[in-house]
This record gives sequence, C-alpha cells and structure tokens, in this order.
Amino acid sequence: METLKRSSRVLAVVGVLAIVATACGGGGEEQASPSGPSTKGGTYRTAIEDFGFTNGFDPTGEYLGTAWGLYSDLISRTLVTYKHIEGVPGDEIVPDIAESWETSADGLTWTFHLKSGVMFGPPLDRAVTSKDIAYAFQRINTKSLIAQYGNYYAGVIEGLTGDAKSPSTPISGISTPDDSTIVFTLTKPTGDFLFRAAMPATAPIPEEVGKCFTKAGDYGRFVISSGPYMIDGEDALDTSSCKAMEPLSGFDPDKFMVFVRNPNYDAATDSPDVRSANLDGVVISIDTNTDDIFNKIQSGDLDGSWASLPPKTLEQQYLTNPDLKDNFHINSGDRTWYITMNLLVPPFDDVNVRKAVNFVIDKTALQKAWGGPAHGEIATSVEPPEVLPETADYDPYPSPNHEGDVQAAQDAMKQSKYDSNGDGKCDADVCSDVLLVSRNIPPWTDMNPVLSEDLAKIGINVKIRELETSTAYTTIQTLDNLIPIAANAGWGKDYADPYGFDFFIFNSAGIACSGQVNYSELGMTKDQATECGPKVLAAWNAATDNGKTPLPSVDKKMDECYGLLDEARATCWTELDTSLMEEAVPWVPYLWATVFTVTADSVTHWEFDQFSGALSFAHIAVNNGLDPTSVPVG
Amino acid sequence: MGRYIVRRLIWVVFVLLVITFISYMIFFVMPSTDPAVVFAGRQPTPELVAEVRHQFGLDHPWPVQYALFVKRIFLGDQYGWPGLGFSFNTRSELKPIIFSRMWVTIQLAFGAAVVWLLIGIPIGILSALKPRSVFDRMAMGFALFGVSAPVFFLGPLFLYLFWFKLGIAPGSGYYAIGVYGIGPWFSHFIMPWIVLALLYAAFYARMTRANLIETMGQDYIRTARAKGLSERTVVLKHGLRASLTPVVTMFGLDLGGLLGGAFITETVFNLPGIGAYAIKSVGSGDLYAILDITIIAGFFITLMNLVVDVLYAFLDPRVRYT
Amino acid sequence: MPEPLLDVRDLRVHFPTDDGLVKAVDGVTFSIMPGETLGVVGESGSGKSVSFLTVMGLITARQAQIQGEVIFEGVDLVKLPKDEMRDVRGLKIGMVFQDPMTSLHPFYKVGDQIAEAILAHRKIGKKEAMDQAIDMLARVGIPRPDERARQYPHEFSGGMRQRAMIAMAVSLNPDLLIADEPTTALDVTVQAQILDLIDRLKQEFNAAVVIITHDLGVVAEHCDNIQVMYAGRAVEYGYARDIYYDADHPYTWGLLQSIARVDAPRTERLKPIKGLPPSLIFVPPGCPFHPRCPYVFDRCRTEVPQLLPVDGHHASACHLSLEDKERIFKEEVMVHQ
Repeated sequence: METLKRSSRVLAVVGVLAIVATACGGGGEEQASPSGPSTKGGTYRTAIEDFGFTNGFDPTGEYLGTAWGLYSDLISRTLVTYKHIEGVPGDEIVPDIAESWETSADGLTWTFHLKSGVMFGPPLDRAVTSKDIAYAFQRINTKSLIAQYGNYYAGVIEGLTGDAKSPSTPISGISTPDDSTIVFTLTKPTGDFLFRAAMPATAPIPEEVGKCFTKAGDYGRFVISSGPYMIDGEDALDTSSCKAMEPLSGFDPDKFMVFVRNPNYDAATDSPDVRSANLDGVVISIDTNTDDIFNKIQSGDLDGSWASLPPKTLEQQYLTNPDLKDNFHINSGDRTWYITMNLLVPPFDDVNVRKAVNFVIDKTALQKAWGGPAHGEIATSVEPPEVLPETADYDPYPSPNHEGDVQAAQDAMKQSKYDSNGDGKCDADVCSDVLLVSRNIPPWTDMNPVLSEDLAKIGINVKIRELETSTAYTTIQTLDNLIPIAANAGWGKDYADPYGFDFFIFNSAGIACSGQVNYSELGMTKDQATECGPKVLAAWNAATDNGKTPLPSVDKKMDECYGLLDEARATCWTELDTSLMEEAVPWVPYLWATVFTVTADSVTHWEFDQFSGALSFAHIAVNNGLDPTSVPVG
Repeated sequence: MGRYIVRRLIWVVFVLLVITFISYMIFFVMPSTDPAVVFAGRQPTPELVAEVRHQFGLDHPWPVQYALFVKRIFLGDQYGWPGLGFSFNTRSELKPIIFSRMWVTIQLAFGAAVVWLLIGIPIGILSALKPRSVFDRMAMGFALFGVSAPVFFLGPLFLYLFWFKLGIAPGSGYYAIGVYGIGPWFSHFIMPWIVLALLYAAFYARMTRANLIETMGQDYIRTARAKGLSERTVVLKHGLRASLTPVVTMFGLDLGGLLGGAFITETVFNLPGIGAYAIKSVGSGDLYAILDITIIAGFFITLMNLVVDVLYAFLDPRVRYT
Repeated sequence: MPEPLLDVRDLRVHFPTDDGLVKAVDGVTFSIMPGETLGVVGESGSGKSVSFLTVMGLITARQAQIQGEVIFEGVDLVKLPKDEMRDVRGLKIGMVFQDPMTSLHPFYKVGDQIAEAILAHRKIGKKEAMDQAIDMLARVGIPRPDERARQYPHEFSGGMRQRAMIAMAVSLNPDLLIADEPTTALDVTVQAQILDLIDRLKQEFNAAVVIITHDLGVVAEHCDNIQVMYAGRAVEYGYARDIYYDADHPYTWGLLQSIARVDAPRTERLKPIKGLPPSLIFVPPGCPFHPRCPYVFDRCRTEVPQLLPVDGHHASACHLSLEDKERIFKEEVMVHQ
C-alpha cells in the first residue's frame, strides 16, 4: 500500500526503531512503546521554555496546538472528540459529551443528544447541560472575546456573526429544547462540522463563572473542568461573586501549570479508548534553558518533554544508543513546511516559472538541513499525510531521490515568457536580485544556500534576507512588501480535514493588506488589490494584464467541497489539491515535519495525540507514584 | 544635603520619563511587527486585529498612548497601583509578574554581591600587601580567569560538573525560601551566585589591589607609620579606608546594573528573574512588560547612582553637596 | 661631656633598583645633643630626608641596604626589632613632613588623628586622649581648638595644618623632633610663624630638633648647628655662624650666593650653582661636587675629601687649603652678604 513505501523508507534510515505499517489509510508510525501494563497513578512532570499561549489559555480564543491537547486530553470535553492516539486513527471523530447525533437531509440541521452524568469539576458540582455548550458558542460570538478561529463558526451557524456585544446574547441558530439536546442550524451544508464541534472553544463553559470574564484571555486563569482532570485549586474558587474570584492557584502563566484529578469525573460517561486517565496529575513548569530540560529528563527530575526541541547532540545520542531508543519518540506533526511564491511578483507571476521551481529544488538536501529523515518526510503535495491520506504519495514533480530534476525544470522554464533565448534559464531583469525571505536560525540557515544554488540553475538569482521568526512572518503577511518568494513558513492543521488546512492559505478570503496568510495571493480580486494601495494594485494589474487574465483561484472548488461528506469529500479535496499543485502552483512543499518527544524510564506507556500534535496526556502512564501537589514548581 | 537628595530624586523621575518615552518611540517607530497582528493568533483577520488593537489600547497615536501610560503609572490602573498594565502574551496583569521576578533578581544580585565582596576585596588586599609575591601572581591569574570566563560558559560548566556528574549540587531552578525552606533555597542559589560573582570578584580584586597599592604610597600613610601605629592599623584604618571609596562607587553602580537583570545567569540557571523576562518580552513585543522592566531597571540604576553619590559624601568629607 | 641624644655613625643607605644601586646616603656621621637644633641643608637628592627617614625606621632593611649605626639614647635603632622600633617612633622621636595637606589623612578629623597618635603609646581613654589633643592644638597656637579638633584637614589653612602636624608630632613629648622641610609648602609669612613655633615648643618640651631644608635662609636664626649635605654625604658642618660667616666649602658658597636677597638691586640676576645634581648610582669619583666646582683641581677628581675639622667644631670636606677657602669666601662670597 502507499503507506508501506513511506514506512519502509523511514525504517531503512532510522534502523533501530521498529516501525509497524498500519492498515489501509493508515500512515502513522508506531515505535516500540515502553512495554508492560499501564501503571495507574503518578504524575507526569514536564517543562517548557514558555507556555506560548496565544490567548492566555482562554479556550474561546486559544489557538495553540499544545494547549488544545491540555483541553481535549485533560479538562475540556466537547460534543465529539478524538481518541487521542497517533496516526490517522487519532484524527477520527468519536462521541464525547454527545452520545449520538443526526443530520437533516438538507445537511442544514445537526441535532446532538447529550449523555447524562457529565459533570463540571468542583466547586460547581453540577451536570453539564446543553445550555453550557450553547454558552461556549455565545462566547465565540462575542467580539471582545476575540475567538481566534471564530471563522469556523461565524457565518456557518445561523445568527453567529462574531459581533455580539455580550456572551449572554443567544444565537438564533442554536437551540436547546432540553438539557440534553442541542440543535444547530447552519447557513449551508458543512461537511466537516463534526471536526468543528470537537474544537476546545466549543467545550461547555458555565455561565455563572464565564459571565465574569468578558475580555479576551481573562477566563484563562479560571477554566472550569468538564473532563477527568482539573487545574489544581479549582475547588477553592470562590464563585459567590465576580469580585471574589481569584485565579486558580494551579496555573501561573509565568511559572507553572498543575493538573489534578477532577473528583466529579465519572469514567462511565467516557471511554478508555478516548481517555485512559492513568495519571494522578500533570505538572508543567517553565524552564527557559532547553538543555536543562533534557538534562533533567536524563537525571530523572522530569518524566519527559512536551513541546521542546531536543538539542541535535542529544538526538544523536538517543538515536544511536539501543538503550535509549525507546525513550525517543518520532511522530508526524501534521505540518507542512513550504516555499511560497507570490503570484503578483515577477518572475513568479508565470506559472511555468513556478513549475520550474518545483522541479529544481533539491528536497533531499533541504531534509538534510533539517537533520535528516528523522525530522520529517519529504513533502510532495500540500496536505500532511494524516490529514489527506489520499495525497500522501502524490508527487507531480518527481525527481530521482527527490534531489530535483534540473532538466525538467529547465524544460518548464523554457516555456515561460522570461526565458527569451530558450536555454532553460531565466534571462529577464526580474530574475536578478530576487528577494527571498527566510529565517535566521537553523535549519533555515543551512537551507538557504541550497535554495540559492538550486534557483540559480534556472537563472533566478536570489538575495536571501534572513529574519527573526516573527519578523519573517509579519514581513510576508504585509501585502505591500510584495515579497516574491519566501521559505520561512510552515502550516499546521487546525483539525484533520483539508478545509481547516487549506482555507485561509489558498482561499482569496484569506487575503488582507496585513496579517494575511494567503501569501501567494491566490484568487486575489481587483477590489482587494485596490484596498491595499497603488503599489499592490499596480502589481496586480501587471500580473493579470489589467484584469484580463485573472489570478488562479480555488475558491469555487473549495465551495464545492465544503458541504460534502465522506468519500465524496475526500475525492473533492484530492481534486483540489491536485489542481493546486499542477495548475495554480503557489507552493513548493518540501517537508512534512515530525515531532520529537523524549521520555524518561518512568514512562511505562507512551502515546501520541495526533490531534494536538504532542504527547497524549489522555493515555500516557508513569510509575513514579508522585502526587501532583507534592512536586516542587519553584 | 537634604535639598540635594530631593533634587536628585526629581531627576530620577525625569530620567525615567525620558527613557520610557524613548522606549515608546523605538517600539512604534522601528519598522517591525504590529503587535496587534502578532498577538491576534494564527489567522489574524482585520476584524480580529482591530479588536485586539482596541483591547491593547493601541488604537491611539503613540504619543497619546504614552501619555496614558504615564498617567496610569502615577495614578494606577484597573489592577491597582502602580499601573503596570497587562501582558500581551499572557493577557494577565503584569504587577505580580514584575514584582515576583524583581524579587528573584534582587536575591540573585545581592547574594552575588556578598560573594564577590567577600572574595574579591580580601584577595585584593592581600595582593596589594605582597605585590609580586606568589600569592599576588596567583590572585591576579584568578582575576584574569574570572574576567575572561563568561557566565554562559562557566554556568553550564558548573551545572554539568557539580550537578550532573558529581551530584553534589542540586539542579537549576528557583526555590523560594518561604515555600521550600532555607536549605533548597540556598543550595539552588549558591551556584548562580558564585558564577555571577566570579566576574565581579576578579574585577574588584584587581581594583582593590591597585587602589590599595596607590593609597599605601600616599604621604598620610607615612605619617601614620611615623606616629608609631601598628602596620595592621596603618593598612586597615588608614590605607583601606581611603582606597575603598572608589570601590564603593563601583559597587553601587554594579549592583544597580545587576538589578536591571542578569539575564544570562537567569537563563542558564532557570531563575525567573527580570532579566530573562526582559529578553522574552522584547523578543515577543510585549509592550507594557518591556516598559515596566525599563522603568524598574532604570529606576534601580538611577537610584543606585544617587545612593552612591550620597554615600561618597559620607565617606569622603571633602565632598559636600548643596 | 654629656651623652649625645642621637649618634649617627657612617650611615649608608643604598636602594637596589632595576637601573642600579642608588646610594642615597653614603657615609654620614654626626651627632645631636639633647636640646640642640640641627639644620640639615642640601638639594633634592642630597640624602638629607633619607637619612632621617632611616633614623625613624620608616626606611627599613626591606627596602634598602642599611649599614652603619644609629644610636639613639644608647640603642642602635638599625638593629632594633620592628615592634620595639614602634615604641620609639612617635613616642621618643616625632616627625613632621613637608606637605601637611597630603600628610594628614583626609577622611579623619584632625582631633582624632592627634588622639590616635596619643593612644598608640598611652593606655588612656578616648575622651582623655581627645582632651589632650585639643590641648595640643591650643599649644601650637590654633584658636578655638575644641571646634577645630572636630574638623577635617581640608577645612584648615596651610599654616594651621602644619601647626596641627606639629601638634601631632610633639603630643607625646618626644626627645627628638625631626621636621622635614616644614615650611617649604607654606608661604613666606607663615614660614616664620612655624619656625618660631618650633622654637617655642622646643623650649617647652625640652626637645632636640632637626630642621631639614634646602633653603639656607630658613635655618639662619633657628639652628644651633648646620650640616650641609651633598650626594649622600656631609660636606660641611659647624655652628650656624660658621656656616654663614665663615663657610669653608664651595657648595656652601654656592648655596649662600644663590639666596635671593630683598635688598639686592632689581636687575641683578640670581646666581645659581652651575650644573646638575649628580646621579646617585654613578657618583662622580673623588669629590662628588667636583664636576660643578669652580675651584676644582686634579686632586679633587681622584681623592674623596674627608670631613675634617677646621677648628675643633667646624668641619669641611674639601681639598682646598684653609687659606684659599678663607680668601675665596671673603672676596667672592662675602661681597654679597
């Protein structure tokens, strides 16, 4: 099967790690997990350099993947959820608070039936009702709470516009006929609605607590649990009045997060496939020194890493030492690293040039710059393999060993308007001193010379600008800069459906004068160009011959795929991605990155959560027998 | 003297206003990222960005923002007094973060100060009294090492040696004395203190040595001996007293600078101090945090300048302020 | 004959340096009787200060090679162990230095510094020591001594500071007071006051005094005996009147002629001694003054003249005959007196 090819490649190189190919459609890798029965109890102690929360851990807006793991694995149950395991099965939807659901024939009405006995943690001590879930959506609808992925709901659910002044405003498209039923009325059939209902922002929020927090981020220090664990100190929250509430003692955004068991959690309302809840608690402390984190794992002061990148030397050590290999976990990160080309800026306004670039890039060398196959599989298409397994092996620009095919590249270049003498190399002025934005840290600093050299083979001489990470992003996000080509960007899934991956980066709705992520300006309209100033308008006019040949767009196809379900949906997305790679050609994807986690010997059962892209707190087990409140956090 | 102190304190306030003004200017004028965009998440739509900008108070022209900021510092904001604002990063109030981090840095700085004075000055004295002896040469060799070996080298070296390999010192991290007791607090601080102090100890040894040698050549030393005083009295009472005034000045300034944050030590030893926080805040563009740290660091440095100048007047009676 | 208070015999003080052996004092012999005032005159580098710093024990075997004897009240100070020397210094011998501004510690009050000198040798209470210090300040003629004792040196004028230094030096009633250039740093009007003060104190305390100076004019009225030093040696010695009215050494003549006189005509130029002071490492052979001497002859270049008495008390180290000396003095030096 397709996946075997990928697995065997990894096996051959990584060697010692045992890879088991999964069944059809599977693409995940399983390594030899620490064997033995999952021990119950104990505390998983980990550390991170900085929490990096994008919204102070307020679930209504929080957009950090690792935070989603904390919600979904530990404290926030949603209508539906994931199994919190690795690979394609880890991206599949299963029931959580809802035990069943139906869709109307026209696809516009979704009715969910809630289980009974799902409880909020102390001090609330009451059952979760449909109103609590509706309240979560009302918060998403509230402007001042800045729902950072609110676009998945606004304009999709009737009456949810994102402009509400207060979270107590009901939404016309959400009704709660009784405590255990919730009905959503959509504006159009939405094939991936279940994925959207599994997002942490939709987890139930009790209004008696939530009403006190009307500014973005504030609720983050008071999150009430509906899951098997809760933030330490939640039971001590004084809910008598808004003024009386003090931030939960178990979460200090500058220092630590401590999770303990939620005494009100009833495992009978959940499934051990979804959450084993082996641990008694999780303790995450801040450690600004990355080396120190990994030293502490080796010395036994920590049980494992969470989202820190192990130093290269450590990686070497673990990969080559048979005693340590079980402690080094490599998983697919559901993220594509790519080179983006700006359709407005010559020479990339010519699709033949873009195809030539796709042929010429030596992706094996780029992978080597990243550290080799352990750091990721070479990407040949847009979607990460777990998100759209159908395109996992689709490679429209093949070359021997992915090292680039200079001949094919030059053939493509010959057909472009910038190669006047047909020698396969660009000879126009626009091909000299082409600005390429990249990052100033490894692995980009090692990739940049490769890019420079490769592009020169088709006559494009780049001037590489190495910038600091966030500066690089905002530079390309600012349209007016008209950056021709950039290599600094990567894109991870929000949820395992191509819509979540593709929408903002390829739909013209993702274009904005600043803060946009459709870096290629795919499908840009004249109005959008006009709005961003004369410089951008002039570029647009030049690229479209004053509107006569509009920019390639996938907007229509996306609308088509939007409402489909199951196989029809998968086929539609496959077609879209194929047309992206072969007709629009905005990108050169080069790596599907992996995620590394290092554990200590105290971890008796290891699992990866494909949804959050980090270790699965829901299933991991340790044998240190520690009580989470006894672990020092400084 | 009293009038002088009052005048200097007013000057401190003025200096702080100027540096925060300049910080504001740099933040907004330098061609870098729009903080609202950076903090609006992964898909910053214009509406989202506008709302963020509004909540962060960034939707005024920056001189107005500056004026509001100054007003809040003096009059307090929704979190109390002084109005230190909230962090763009964590969306929570900055006051407890700043204060707790400042407290950690104070412990680090003062502890290291004690260590470097206890090491540096006696070495300097002994070297000065026996110039070019074996002790002197070894001491100056140590000084050269201390001045040359940077914290980011010594720190990890110490950690590796004493914690990881030999296991005689505990690892990195800050263990508050109130929570963990004096044992863990001290044992976790001793290495960062020593590593940080080594540089200064070396410098102070050299300085003390040079000053004392120069002082011992002064005429009043000869007079002291002519009076028939014991050599110990001559050195300690007459020699040291005069040679330490520049050391006191340096000490005040060094301590003031350290209170602005010893960020390398804090990062290497994972101490949540104000220096590490400064790096983090600047890196992420957390405006109010940056300003608060600027104020605190600026305050301590200008205050220490004042303390040192006043102290100098007490030490050297020839200096008088009006 | 009464015992001399201080008897210096063939004192040599040589400093080893990187450039060579500096023979700062090279064979000096003299004695001082109790109650006597000796003036020691010479240029910088003549060895006048070094001799007495050595007497005080402020130059020790650690810094220089010391030969000869310094017998003070019967004890050879050169051979005395350090702690015993400290009992002499300040108590039996007091010393006043040239620049009172730098010689007093700027950070301590004047009264405290004097009291410290007292307390170093007497076991009395602090208050009593301070009272004595205030008393000393009064005795050296400083008005409102109790206020002044609480002040710092920089609050005193130059003359007052020197008085305070003198007070400090005599506070324990020493038998010998050495004043090294006591007036050099002061202006002329104050100079006379200080010298008078020294005289008065000498009477009150019954002490012997050594006044070291480069200025012959200073010692005229205040010294019993005068020793002229050059290149580490004594070249002439005698009663004050011998030196002024009957000098027997070309160097002394040069000193006398170079004194600026108030009554000389305005246009008359000062008459310095030709040439430069000699190197103390490579001292000229024979008479050390011979390169600069207007009356030099062959013998001077090879044979070191000894300090020989001329008439019992008066001695000079010069090869010229007595007649020549007297003649030259009358014809060339006296003219200007």
